[in-house]
Amino acid sequence: MPSIIVAILLFVGLGAIFAIGFYLNQKTPKPEGCENLLADCEGCRLATCPHHPHHKEGEKENA
Amino acid sequence: MELLSMALAAILINNVVLTQFLGICPFLGVSKSAKSAVGMGLAVIFVIFGASLLTFALYKLVLVPFGIEYMQLISFILVIAAFVQFTEMFIKKYSASLYKSLGIYLPLITTNCVVLFVAQDNITQNYNLIETIVNSISVPAGFMLVLVLFSCLRERLDSADTTSSWKGNPVALVVAALMALAFSGLAGIV
Amino acid sequence: MWQNFKNGFIKENPVFGLYLGLCSSLAISTSLNNAIGMGMCVTIVLICSNILVSAIRKITPDEIRIPVYIVIIATLVSIVEMVVHAFMPELYNSLGVFLGLIVVNCIILGRAEAFASKNPIGASAIDGLGMGLGYTFALVLISVVRELIATGGISFYNPFDATQILFGFSIEALAPYTISLFSGSVGAFLTFSCFAALFAWIKQHSAKKEKEAKK
Repeated sequence: MPSIIVAILLFVGLGAIFAIGFYLNQKTPKPEGCENLLADCEGCRLATCPHHPHHKEGEKENA
Repeated sequence: MELLSMALAAILINNVVLTQFLGICPFLGVSKSAKSAVGMGLAVIFVIFGASLLTFALYKLVLVPFGIEYMQLISFILVIAAFVQFTEMFIKKYSASLYKSLGIYLPLITTNCVVLFVAQDNITQNYNLIETIVNSISVPAGFMLVLVLFSCLRERLDSADTTSSWKGNPVALVVAALMALAFSGLAGIV
Repeated sequence: MWQNFKNGFIKENPVFGLYLGLCSSLAISTSLNNAIGMGMCVTIVLICSNILVSAIRKITPDEIRIPVYIVIIATLVSIVEMVVHAFMPELYNSLGVFLGLIVVNCIILGRAEAFASKNPIGASAIDGLGMGLGYTFALVLISVVRELIATGGISFYNPFDATQILFGFSIEALAPYTISLFSGSVGAFLTFSCFAALFAWIKQHSAKKEKEAKK
């Protein structure tokens, strides 16, 4: 088997495994009592990051 | 003995945060309390250990035999990302308490550069299996050590009266500089 | 659009303003040469990834958005790494592992997620250029200070041919006062924190001014 085919197979295979893992992980419900548990991270100031505490404050204001 | 000195060097002397500048984002971000620092640190140790073994096997068993070493970067990042996803899924399913303490930090780890760095470092340093295992435990252990130490300092720092423009991350980085200075004093021990 | 572009430099500078991509900006800023080389690589990856993400934003299934972005970014970084390895071996050696670590640089994934996934191709490309140049600008600032203090001079060589020095100078008066600590990690943290505080001050200052203007 020429190596380029192995390379392509590897690329597609790993990409598919990751995508499936990501999808399944999102489908898996969080355990009871942990639904709203998020790690607060203030390493950056990206307000769009779901882990940023600013995000939560914004939601409270909207609600 | 060599393995021990290798581990010490990775934890204290070539500390991944203070001398290689990797993982600064979680270092600043998750170090608000000692509890979250421990959780993050343990999660990082577990992910790096697992991902390093997987990438090591992938490199030796697939990339080298087929002569496609140029796929290293792309296959490693995909393996790491997939590993994190599956780990999170299993923890979610089988252990709520583990999820509470470690699981919530897993999403922050995929884009943590320490993981990719250790996976690549094991290959470039030409480590064998045992050295890979030691390296991929001791490097994140060094990360966790600094993270926990820093979080204890940070708890005090937050109540300190700093000028408004230095508040938060800038003054935290000054503290990091002092820590780096202190750690550089350990350089002679190995 | 010009405003968007300008924002990338001061107010929303990815490094000093948003604290993105800290790892590489601290490690690479030892010399002006590394800073410009790294900045250019990140800018190219950022523009290309923004364009690609924006181009496929309508056909990407929402559930597996992030994996798609990561695959795109990893492919682009691999290409850039190979090109640099082939044509600029000196730069490749001095950037070392950090070239590959562009994959996990939060600026790129952050922009793909926050901007390119919602905006048309043209705007995304400009956003990538602005953010990339903002990153380069930050790297250049840190590296100039660090190189000047650590070695007492600045030198910049042609990345394609390391023997050809494009420009360089050294200040004689500074030579006895160089602090080699600044080429290491302590200097990196200190220089960075000073700039971060400066940028925070500028931000607060301009916010105050705007408030007063409104009154």
